[in-house]
Amino acid sequence: MTVRALQKISVARNGVGAFVLQCKKMDLHYCDWAGSSKGMNGFIKSLLPKFAAAHPQIEFNVSPRPAKHPVIIAHYINGREKAVCVRNMEPFEILKKAELLRDASGEKLRRVTKPVSSINESVRGIWSPYHGEGMRV
Amino acid sequence: MKRLRLDQWTGQLLLARPGAASVSASAPRAVLRSTTPLSRCAAVRCQSTAAAASPSIPAQGTPEDEYIDGTDHARFPPLENLPPRATSMPSPPPSRALESAKLAALHARLALPEKLPLQTLARALVDASADPSPDFNNSTLAFVGQSLIHYHVGEYLMCRYPRLPMDILYAAMKGYAGHTTLHHVARSWGVEHAAAPGGEVDPGLLQFSMHKPGDAITGFGYQRAELKYLRKYNWRHSISSRIVFDDDFGEIVDPEAQRETLGRRTDTQYGDAFTRSLAERAYANCTRAVVGALYTHAGREPAKAFVRAHILSRHLDLSQLFAFKKPAKELSLLCAREDFEPPVARLLSETGRLSRTPVFVVGIFSGKDKLGEAAGPSLEHARAKAAMNALKSWYLYSPGEHVRVPSDMLAEEAKPWEPVHIDVGEIIGR
Repeated sequence: MTVRALQKISVARNGVGAFVLQCKKMDLHYCDWAGSSKGMNGFIKSLLPKFAAAHPQIEFNVSPRPAKHPVIIAHYINGREKAVCVRNMEPFEILKKAELLRDASGEKLRRVTKPVSSINESVRGIWSPYHGEGMRV
Repeated sequence: MKRLRLDQWTGQLLLARPGAASVSASAPRAVLRSTTPLSRCAAVRCQSTAAAASPSIPAQGTPEDEYIDGTDHARFPPLENLPPRATSMPSPPPSRALESAKLAALHARLALPEKLPLQTLARALVDASADPSPDFNNSTLAFVGQSLIHYHVGEYLMCRYPRLPMDILYAAMKGYAGHTTLHHVARSWGVEHAAAPGGEVDPGLLQFSMHKPGDAITGFGYQRAELKYLRKYNWRHSISSRIVFDDDFGEIVDPEAQRETLGRRTDTQYGDAFTRSLAERAYANCTRAVVGALYTHAGREPAKAFVRAHILSRHLDLSQLFAFKKPAKELSLLCAREDFEPPVARLLSETGRLSRTPVFVVGIFSGKDKLGEAAGPSLEHARAKAAMNALKSWYLYSPGEHVRVPSDMLAEEAKPWEPVHIDVGEIIGR
């Protein structure tokens, strides 16, 4: 009759203890010939070193992709990827896109309708018809 | 709690430093090996990159010196400078750790201190099944890390929930520090594994083999004298005996079964439940090894902070782990033991008694105090749930989330220790 246990695994809460940035790798593809890659080439030369130094937890991989538009592909810890084509963009616009990818979690974009999403139960409790003064019919 | 003398165990980790004296292993054996152990005095490998740097190697690599990956290196020059005979090494040499972007990214993502070098982190990613040499795999680090994780998780649970029943405590230990959980922790850090281990893989990838035997990280526990009968006749082993004999999860210490599991490797290249369990074990050992590496280089407090931040910050609802058999009887025994008035179930409110979906709200009272309350579809059901809620509220008593643990006293200038609540124990069946 002693209490026996069911088995369960604990759930991670990123940020409560330690924070792990979800973006783990960024592939940057550029082209030396295409005109749409001018901004990307400028970004790689001027803004990327500082951005990469500011985020040592992201692995950066720069490689040419000839005769294609420039693209940044970000890989996330949940296994998903996000690709952003940065054709015909200025270096600072590309930096904004890189920051957007860095801030993303890798989850699919979904519409959030509720203001609060939490695993804790409500502070004030859920209304019950069986407690309190009851209902007059 | 007995203080763990971990400084004795990490002595053999210093073997990997060049010029260090070979320390004899007087510490408890960290690993259970299925193959014969290699010599512990060999701190330098036979195929070392130091040989490559010597001027005796000719300028144009002979075919035996170049690493073999099946391609023609004259037509397709390799992208990275691998040391010669890289493919014949079981794991990448430590010098390659400084060239891996993945490894450096992992180091920064976990915010590991500068004191922890990349070479040790690379070693923490090499499983014993990839490289059998204990100087180059993570088995010793994983042993240190496992001891630390179990210690910190155990003391936290015992101080935060002093009345927790033993079986629930074991399940909670597993929920925070078991193989599956630590596998999830490693995945949440962005650790990926190499398809097959070898000297040419990226040092930032976890390396383990499905086809070669590995090491089992031994824990603390005793092998029972009646182990054979336990297995063969399925004898009952009580929770009290588990506290004395078994390991930190309440599981039987069975070296024979462990050796047999280690020897059994998969013969399929596709994924199935067994390959998944092998991968799970490798990831879990990687997590333990990172904790062990942090303790070795940075000390006790950073390792404790790391365990708290990454493992104890996870959420596990202990109230969902309880499985009661006769809750009403157990509650009445508890009230008798604690000198409360005998519990009485009273109907607080109800609706729809003759309908298809009745709701009865039952409260269990001891004198004038309500011990527990629950709603159910029938009177018996509601009474049982109310008794379970009452028992849970007793067993899950907690002085708070920020409770002091014994390891706080190891810090300098710690305030005097105030004893934690020590409980008599759970209700035992008759």
